[in-house]
Amino acid sequence: MRTGVYVCHCGTNIAGTIDVHALIGYAGSLPGVALAREYKYMCSDPGQELIRQDICDYKLDRVVVAACSPHLHEKTFRQAVEQAGLNPFYCHMVNLREHDSWVHADKPAATEKAMDLVRAAVRRVKWHVPLERRQVPVHAEVLVVGGGIAGIDAALTLANAGKHVYLVEREPTIGGHMAQFDKTFPTLDCAACILTPKMTAVKAHRNITLWTYSEVRQVEGYVGNYSVTVRRKPRYVIEKLCVGCLECIQACVYKQAKVPDPFNLGLSKRKPVYIPFPQAVPQVVAIDPETCIEFKSGKCKKTCVEVCAERNAIDFKQQAEIQTIQVGAIILATGFDVFDGARIPYYGYGLYPNVYTALEIERLVNASGPTGGEVVLRDGRKPASVGIVHCVGSRDLHTNRYCSRVCCMYSLKLAHLIKEKTGADVYNFYIDIRAPGKAFEEFYNRVAEEGVVFVRGKAADVYPAGNGDGRLIVQAEDTLLGMIRKIPVDMVVLATGLEPRADANDVRRLFNIGCSGDGFFLERHPKLAPVNTFADGIFLAGCCQGPKDIPDTVAQSGAAAAQALALIDAGVVELEPNTAHVLEDACSGCKTCLPLCPYSAISFVEEKKARINEVLCKGCGTCVAACPSGSIRQNLFEDEEIFEEIDGLLASAAVGGGPVRIQGDL
Amino acid sequence: MGTCEVTLESLPRYPEGKEILTCIQCGACSGTCPYGEVMDYPPRRMIAMMRAGMLEKVFTSDSLLACVACYACMAKCPRGIRLTEILLPLMKEQTLTHLPELPGELQKALQNTLRYGNPMGEPSRKRAAWVKTAGVPIRILAEDPRPADALWFVECYTSFYPRGQDNSRATARLFHRLGIDFAILGNEEKCAGECGRLTWEPGLFETLMDYNMAVFQKYRFNRLVTSCPHAHNAFKNRYPALGFNWGLEHTTPFLAKYLDRLKPLLARKLDCTVTYHDSCCLGRQNEFYEAPRQLLQAIPGVKLVEMVHNRMNAICCGGGGGGMWLDTYFKAKGYERLSERRVREAVATGADVLAVSCPYEVSRFEDALKVAGYDKQMVVRDVTELLAEAMED
Repeated sequence: MRTGVYVCHCGTNIAGTIDVHALIGYAGSLPGVALAREYKYMCSDPGQELIRQDICDYKLDRVVVAACSPHLHEKTFRQAVEQAGLNPFYCHMVNLREHDSWVHADKPAATEKAMDLVRAAVRRVKWHVPLERRQVPVHAEVLVVGGGIAGIDAALTLANAGKHVYLVEREPTIGGHMAQFDKTFPTLDCAACILTPKMTAVKAHRNITLWTYSEVRQVEGYVGNYSVTVRRKPRYVIEKLCVGCLECIQACVYKQAKVPDPFNLGLSKRKPVYIPFPQAVPQVVAIDPETCIEFKSGKCKKTCVEVCAERNAIDFKQQAEIQTIQVGAIILATGFDVFDGARIPYYGYGLYPNVYTALEIERLVNASGPTGGEVVLRDGRKPASVGIVHCVGSRDLHTNRYCSRVCCMYSLKLAHLIKEKTGADVYNFYIDIRAPGKAFEEFYNRVAEEGVVFVRGKAADVYPAGNGDGRLIVQAEDTLLGMIRKIPVDMVVLATGLEPRADANDVRRLFNIGCSGDGFFLERHPKLAPVNTFADGIFLAGCCQGPKDIPDTVAQSGAAAAQALALIDAGVVELEPNTAHVLEDACSGCKTCLPLCPYSAISFVEEKKARINEVLCKGCGTCVAACPSGSIRQNLFEDEEIFEEIDGLLASAAVGGGPVRIQGDL
Repeated sequence: MGTCEVTLESLPRYPEGKEILTCIQCGACSGTCPYGEVMDYPPRRMIAMMRAGMLEKVFTSDSLLACVACYACMAKCPRGIRLTEILLPLMKEQTLTHLPELPGELQKALQNTLRYGNPMGEPSRKRAAWVKTAGVPIRILAEDPRPADALWFVECYTSFYPRGQDNSRATARLFHRLGIDFAILGNEEKCAGECGRLTWEPGLFETLMDYNMAVFQKYRFNRLVTSCPHAHNAFKNRYPALGFNWGLEHTTPFLAKYLDRLKPLLARKLDCTVTYHDSCCLGRQNEFYEAPRQLLQAIPGVKLVEMVHNRMNAICCGGGGGGMWLDTYFKAKGYERLSERRVREAVATGADVLAVSCPYEVSRFEDALKVAGYDKQMVVRDVTELLAEAMED
């Protein structure tokens, strides 16, 4: 055995804590090690070249690279080894950085641990056997989940590249939150004017299959070959037959709209047969079975059916439809939920009628909103003073620790719009104004110039003035003045933050991806793989990954589309060979492994043996550990490899005769 | 870590001290502080001064005397800085040592507590005198040391102060009717001492802790029940450092656990509108918001209404942190009495009963109602008093 050991300094990331010279001196003395070297950045081109040259010059047959996490550079080093003519799986990495130098402060102890880790790797790698990667073809279609601006943009980009896209949206229309906004900061262009052309483009695109009022129920398969089950909920209207004339809404036996309209956040009413908003896509009505008389009593006159006449689009018997599609890649663009203002009791949302959320104000200022664009209180009066409370449900460990990123800017925008429409005095109660985008600071300046007042202090309390004038007091410390201010206002606007969707956890499990501590979906790498997930072939776009504004969302959806395109355009995908396989002669057919496999990769075959589909297997090792007869083995995790690694790790403890010392994760 | 040992100097070494470094100076603390307007250095400014190394200036102002330890700042701090628990008492201690002289009323209360085991200066041998008026048998452990399920720690106001004794008599009757195996310490009991700690006297507090712990260890009981939220606080947060590991309950949530058994006993209709004042220690500090309300709603004929500031946003009665003995001092400084601010809110609800769960509040609110001229339209009752009243045949 001729093993080469390569220790990376990673600048001072590793070398600042671990005595690298001592480490290579030690590594060089281990049995089977032909040479040990150090280098400042092993992953650099000269670093890789060093390995390649050594393999040729010194006839190395195994390589151990002690550097960072295999997540980052296993590919790099395997490739370097392969280029020098060795099987790439003869290379093994030791994670000195994350498992040692970054988590320890005691330098001698960290160096000792590094020696243990390197010794373990040197002993393990000699058992490695050559492995081959498999190639499988990929489906050229892409699934986009969520029809807000992120999903719309990703779908259009892929469709324009000639790829077929399934766009699945839970609501009866696409458009998402952006469709509810009035103007967009900082340019004040109308959200609908820039969004609706994209919505109609989706509907018209021959490469896009648009399924609204539909939800993904099941996801199976693997990168390049996902099989997805979608449930199309009954809208009780046959989409193909409805022409969007809206005559049924007019004809409904409900003369007055009675049901709170979710699109307007309950600020207006709708009928049981409805279209979410005038520019909805598709222009197809839906019937709400919870409120429709026909569903409740079966005795409605069905004036809607009468007026629909020969078009015959209404179908009270419509059932949910299950569709299964095959796609190569999936883009998740499931968006966000608005923080529920009632969770902070001292702001009085839900208690005092004139406390609103920012999204409600978006609807009020919107010309197609419940008041036709008039900013008025619930009793119809125009407010003479308005307080905007920032950071509601953001930057607070009682709710969400993170900054929601968009609230400062939309608060400035709403301040401008409210002032423009009502001439009211507008007070912003803020902690910090965060205006870091293009033309944001300039917009802040403009709004300040317009006379919007800024009180630097987190609003501490909102309560009725108590003198019968119906006003509310916003109480805060003006931290710049060093005094407590109690400002009477007619209207309070809560700048509510952005949260993960209430069912984000279910969606996460459905697609087998992770989430970060705040509950948003986790990207593969915060800087270098911001739209990838740890599930190959599943990408993220928009606010499901974290709060962001429209420009950032669109940039991200473009990136997600490009990643999906790169995957499906290659035509094939390479699968890692670290999969499990059954030694069929030894298998007793006990079926223990079958229900344990999270990927349904194990089947039971005629000859009464378990068989693992290597394409479905992700190499998690559950079946390997569970098999009572020890007849399931796993590439790169063979028993000899693991035991030798453990023995190597604990060898120093055995020699010294002292207590076994285990530091960090093995 | 026993937070008792933390000093201003050692604070930066503890996690609680590191939290202070995360302050974003948002001012939610000062904005919500009931005395934020009158302090030279309300909590936010105090932290800014601390970080700038200018604390001496803070100590030479008497700002911190106005801290009534109501936990309002802490409840709203977006960074979870433990102001009321850690920082403010340390600051208050320094402020008081810098004062030329201690406010007389406070000085007297602290001396009394040291000498007699209660802030009123009542003789300790009369602590259990009220027992004879309870109308139900009450076992005193010194006389009958058999093990008891619940040790009822009566506390000072509820032992000596006549309106406090009403609460004790009601509690005794409720415990009796519910068949609870309870006993009290009688004259052996001394103030739990929480007021001493929050009013800067750690030495006094430790003396009382040592004393009470020695008494507890003489007897066998499963849990300690007290009607004083301040004592509850002390037993929950401070006494464990000395080995206190019995079960611990405040009377109100304790009784709420017996609601099913209590309900059939509440036969008498009271016909009144009640508004409930959340005690700071019971509410913000322990989040017992619903238990007292459940009890009140179980009383026939009671209509429960809420004040504008309720639950975690309730306004303090002004009695905590030594405020109980600073009324004269605050008045001389021209501060508004918080108990008066509170009763104005209570009266605005239209209720005729102001229900409370803390022995401090009965005297504070009754006094405030009188001063504000509302004593004809509203009465103050402890939740236990209302329950006992509804229970009488």
